[in-house]
Amino acid sequence: MSDRLNRLMPKAGWVAAVIVLLALPLYVDGFWLSAGLVAMAAAVGAVGLTLLVGAAGQLSFAHAFFLAVGAYGYACFSGEPGAATLGLGLPPALGAALAIAVTGALGLAFSPVASRLRGIYLGVASLSLVFVGQHLLHNLTGVTGGFNGRDTPMFTLAGFDVTGSEPPVTVAGVPFGATERLWYLGLVALAGAGVIARNLLRGRTGRALRMVRDSEVAAAVLGVDVRRSKATAFVVSSMFAGAAGVLSALALDRVVPDYFGLLLSVEFLAMIVIGGLGSVGGAVTGAAFVTLLPIVLARYSGVLPLVADAGSGGVDAAVLARFCYGAAVVLVILIQPDGLAGLGRRLRARLGPAVPSLQEST
Amino acid sequence: MSTLRVDEVSVRFGALVALDAVSFTVEPGTVHAVIGPNGAGKSTCLNVLSGVYRPDAGRVYLDDRELTRLRPHHIARLGIARTFQNIEVSGAETVEDNLMLGRHHLMRPRLAATAFGLPSVAREERRHRTRVREIADFLGLSAALDRPAALLPYGLRKRLELARALAMEPRLLLLDEPVAGMDGAETAEMADVILRVRTELGVTVVLVEHDMGMVTRIADRVTVLDFGRRIFDGSPAAMAADPAVVEAYLGGAPSSTKEPA
Ligand SMILES: Nc1ncnc2c1ncn2[C@@H]1O[C@H](COP(=O)(O)OP(=O)(O)OP(=O)(O)O)[C@@H](O)[C@H]1O
Ligand SMILES: [Mg+2]
Repeated sequence: MSDRLNRLMPKAGWVAAVIVLLALPLYVDGFWLSAGLVAMAAAVGAVGLTLLVGAAGQLSFAHAFFLAVGAYGYACFSGEPGAATLGLGLPPALGAALAIAVTGALGLAFSPVASRLRGIYLGVASLSLVFVGQHLLHNLTGVTGGFNGRDTPMFTLAGFDVTGSEPPVTVAGVPFGATERLWYLGLVALAGAGVIARNLLRGRTGRALRMVRDSEVAAAVLGVDVRRSKATAFVVSSMFAGAAGVLSALALDRVVPDYFGLLLSVEFLAMIVIGGLGSVGGAVTGAAFVTLLPIVLARYSGVLPLVADAGSGGVDAAVLARFCYGAAVVLVILIQPDGLAGLGRRLRARLGPAVPSLQEST
Repeated sequence: MSTLRVDEVSVRFGALVALDAVSFTVEPGTVHAVIGPNGAGKSTCLNVLSGVYRPDAGRVYLDDRELTRLRPHHIARLGIARTFQNIEVSGAETVEDNLMLGRHHLMRPRLAATAFGLPSVAREERRHRTRVREIADFLGLSAALDRPAALLPYGLRKRLELARALAMEPRLLLLDEPVAGMDGAETAEMADVILRVRTELGVTVVLVEHDMGMVTRIADRVTVLDFGRRIFDGSPAAMAADPAVVEAYLGGAPSSTKEPA
């Protein structure tokens, strides 16, 4: 009986989570939905980064750069033509797809480097992309809008506003405006990203990547083209970043260069470490933790002791949040290397049936 | 059936000559042992055969095909599988997934189809899992399939690595000290497995070994290395009577194996 219960419990958990997420716009106000959207965008990016860093063992700081390419790419492809900043006026869905494709192409262009370097050396090399990116974002004003950035174009699908309110929709007495609608787009994107990553990790690709991480020589003599595997991981991961960039642009309504700095890359690494490297669920949980923590702290800074108002010179919410996830990263590395995902597995194992012992096998 | 020909292969690490113009031929369907004292160059030799090292001079051919210019994954795809002296399995992965890695080159690379979870990908995966379970059965690993490899006892991990190499459906199997660190019973079992690999699966085996007893028991032919040089090549019986071998190999280190007169 407990066996069946154990098989059903995770499924029931999933169903409950999906129902809650779908119903949330009916109960939660716009502030929290927006916060959730930013977290979902981050989660899409984190899932991609965990493929590269967690599965393939390749360190990369370039994630923020690829997010920027996705965000600005979408703004360019679907932006209004004739405005101060470049806009091609393409349909938003097409613009988003092209933005992701362009991110992948740039990832491919960098992959000769990514496939020849290993681990931390790639980390150092990838820093260059962040700096180049920052320079371009600030200086290519005709495309990026420079320091002040540019507005995110509206997302409409077949005449239905996803980031607007035409035609009007009311569900159970709650009018569905831009935030509510975008929430569902975010959910779809996150679910898609999660399923794709999981499929890749479970199959031939994921097995090869993990073997490359554990031993390149062993992977190679097993017939794995090591360079190609690392290049693939890099390209796929940058496409996830591209999608996350599009989603971030939509969630934030405006894209500004400062958002896509080195700090964002570091936050992404914190997300996947806290969640547990190489785990899709862990990446999502870590992304929620790292993005929501400063928002929650800022929201309640009035009632929380020690938290100063932003700009007052004391420890404000953003700084405190960074302390918190900095500490979380250290704790994870020291005592729980497989992160929140590992913690979850261990809890389930403890609740589940005892595993039969092995010695009888031979 | 294919013949492996090693032709005047030399490997240097700085001033150290790890292999010095070594030649030998591995006939199809045989167990060919490569033995020698510590540091003789046995592992270096396997590394050259599997493409991990590129020799400074000399060539390796599989039939008429030169292997020396190929990258390791190309050599693997030609049907050459190997194990390592220090076991190289993914500890966090289950035994079954480790074995599935052996199927890598037999599965079609379809990134997009895998990403979107097409049914044909799942079908291919299932087909290979079935085969992998048969191989696990062949090596007595069935009960361990769902275990993370790191939790297996040492002897079983050695066996897992051999099973993973067999999962590649190789024609040539290179084994680097498959019984190192094993007790008498485990060694006998492993020797039995290797003989079955040759007779039942028709795989040619190159066996790097320390254990003379095992070599004389199962090898059809022996190449003896000492300080990177080939000092003997012939049948196990002839080896036991060869003065150079006795001097370099048996004379030096005391060994538990039966000594020639
Ligand atoms: N990558 C390397 N760099 C430098 N020297 C090496 C390298 N690999 C092997 N050697 C040296 O080459 C010589 C032959 O080493 P090899 O590992 O082939 O010996 P072996 O016969 O396998 O020995 P053992 O029985 O100890 O496994 C040794 O002196 C070793 O130190
Ligand atoms: Mg060796």
